[in-house]
Amino acid sequence: MPDSRSVYISGSGIVCAAGLCTREVLSTLLAGTCGIAPVRYLQTGHREFPVGEVKLSDALMCDRLGIPEDEITTRTALQGMMALGEALENAGLSREDLRSAGFISGTTVGGMDRSENCYLDFIENDSKNAYLRTHDCGSCSEMIADHFGDFAFIETISTACSSAANAIGLAAEMIRAGEAEIVVAGGAECITRFHLNGFNTLMILDRRPCRPFDAERAGLNLGEGAAYLVLESEESLRRRGASPLARLSGYGNACDAFHQTASSPDGEGAYLAMCKALDDAGLRPEDIDYINAHGTGTPNNDLSESRAMLRLFGEKLPPMSSTKSITGHTTSASGAIESVICLLALREKFLPVNYGWSTPMAEVPVRPNMDISRGTVLRHVLCNSFGFGGNDSSLVISAL
Amino acid sequence: MMKRINILSAEQISIQKPLCEDWMDAPLSFTENYVRCTDPDFRQFIFAGEARRMGRLLKRALATSLTALAKGGMEHPDAIITGTGFGSVENTELFLDAMVREGESLLKPTQFMQSTHNTTSSLISIHTGSHGYNSTYSQKHLSFDCALHDAWLQLRLGRIHSALVGAHDEMTPVFHTFMRKARFLPDFDICSEAAVSLLLSDEASDKSLCTLGGVWMKSRPSSDEILAALRRMLEENGLDTEDVGAVMTGMDGSEADADYAFLDQALPGAAKLRYRPLFGDCFSAPALGVYAACHCLSRGKIPAALMFSAGDRNTCGKAILVVNIAQRRHCSLTLLCGN
Repeated sequence: MPDSRSVYISGSGIVCAAGLCTREVLSTLLAGTCGIAPVRYLQTGHREFPVGEVKLSDALMCDRLGIPEDEITTRTALQGMMALGEALENAGLSREDLRSAGFISGTTVGGMDRSENCYLDFIENDSKNAYLRTHDCGSCSEMIADHFGDFAFIETISTACSSAANAIGLAAEMIRAGEAEIVVAGGAECITRFHLNGFNTLMILDRRPCRPFDAERAGLNLGEGAAYLVLESEESLRRRGASPLARLSGYGNACDAFHQTASSPDGEGAYLAMCKALDDAGLRPEDIDYINAHGTGTPNNDLSESRAMLRLFGEKLPPMSSTKSITGHTTSASGAIESVICLLALREKFLPVNYGWSTPMAEVPVRPNMDISRGTVLRHVLCNSFGFGGNDSSLVISAL
Repeated sequence: MMKRINILSAEQISIQKPLCEDWMDAPLSFTENYVRCTDPDFRQFIFAGEARRMGRLLKRALATSLTALAKGGMEHPDAIITGTGFGSVENTELFLDAMVREGESLLKPTQFMQSTHNTTSSLISIHTGSHGYNSTYSQKHLSFDCALHDAWLQLRLGRIHSALVGAHDEMTPVFHTFMRKARFLPDFDICSEAAVSLLLSDEASDKSLCTLGGVWMKSRPSSDEILAALRRMLEENGLDTEDVGAVMTGMDGSEADADYAFLDQALPGAAKLRYRPLFGDCFSAPALGVYAACHCLSRGKIPAALMFSAGDRNTCGKAILVVNIAQRRHCSLTLLCGN
């Protein structure tokens, strides 16, 4: 019998370039295909960069969600609603259950997709004022949550690309502290011209499909999407008669404290985050059966992360891959999207592959997993999410 | 017995005189409805070369953080946690404006880098060499409360022993019009800016301004839920309702003040205070309410400028309750107890 402080995952939902729901994402992962493609929905002049877009227009998302097309929403919120809806259904949570459940969501650009299209109207007239109320990050989470009911509390974490991982970590801490019985946590972020151009000014976008951990890697592909996990105490599961899918057994948050947008050469923050997550889970490095790496595909991140992994795991580095090679870098949502992928690997017994990898890096003896290895039993998996500003976080998900 | 969590220091840059408590005796008053911070001389905190590349929000955050750390006698807090409603709007606006008006070329990386909300926590960690827990919350007027609650949670779980908790928002003229158009503030409120840093520690100290007795947050709570939470919080700190001398509120004279009506029943004898006439309003302004209450408790006095309605006891008593109700949906209670 696990101790009373255990945190269980009792539901999940996902939408990303690899699929519009868990079943679709699983079939993409098992087929070994990839969701990254030329720009289709984002209105940008930068057609040279491949992206991992959710393959639906805003209008079609509204349609699926039963939202009138003229209702004030954002693309981030629509994706969030799709993923949250699936997670709630998967966990069997009713509208009434939400009144005592928390919602913690990560996002960084919030409603920027609308703001960048309405900006001149915001300044010159009053025609788009309604979208001023959807610009900030907090509004985004409120919109997503309110679509399903009246959550007990709503919080938004904005630590760039580790936002969703920190949302999941905080949710676990609240359950452990006895402050909540059910917290739904994850993140949502659509692609905007704002951050596509931002990443472009930093010269970290690849014009080819990204190749994390490859010697020839040349940057990341921006992705978008949303995912949520329903985290729950044992007592609550028992009361609801619900069955858990896995345990959220460890969380580590550390700061690289090196540079606003670059990782330290030795990956100090990444190393500390992974160590803390293992400590928190009461595990040793050899207990980890798979690592879902942050692996953005930038020369800087992948080398720094590789060094941090080698420092912690030594010569016994478990199978590791970056599924950003399949989804694109879903920024604030990535921690949740990749947690759902880890959950799938654990439940369906396979190792996600690092799509498109071919050439080993010269600097470090690190090769990502390229074999789907159906039937592999995984006990504990580690999921890394590192953000600008050195906001590094790791989660450990364990089999029941 | 609950762990005692000391607030070692509380610093502000606001529309009052910065990095001091002069507002307690000589408050500035304002007639305009949009007032920006009075900035200190940043050269004492940041080298000129570094400061040139840094937006105002970041400079203010560093100044309040470094001052709070110095006063609390600490170099490396275990955690750095920040709340911000809009983040660095100066840089966001510059990048967005250039992109919309001039197209998707010739954009500046520095503006993008400083536009993300977590830049502040990150910069403080780089400046102080702190590799510990680091996070950022963005929930409009509740942003600071979320950050403080996180620190409270981690301190109680024993994950950390100290935390630098801040709230930082700036307001450019363009975003000021956005705040008004979005009706995030009533027209008559002073739209201001705020940079606030608090240093928390669970170790014994003779520097403590007051202690943090609890943080509770709920969306759309019923009065019964608020009353129950308050009762629990007081009980955990060994206090009765009569021990709460005053309640710090975000009341501003608008119809939303009705949301604070439960206080008449919950704490009938307590004085009602409000920070907005002194500090204005922005997403980080509620942090100034907590900051002001800390200093009231520390000095054992309530400046007249904060007083909204006198109670039976116009002293701080043993504790001040800070109540933040925002957008008529988010509610938080923060209990501060005298030493």
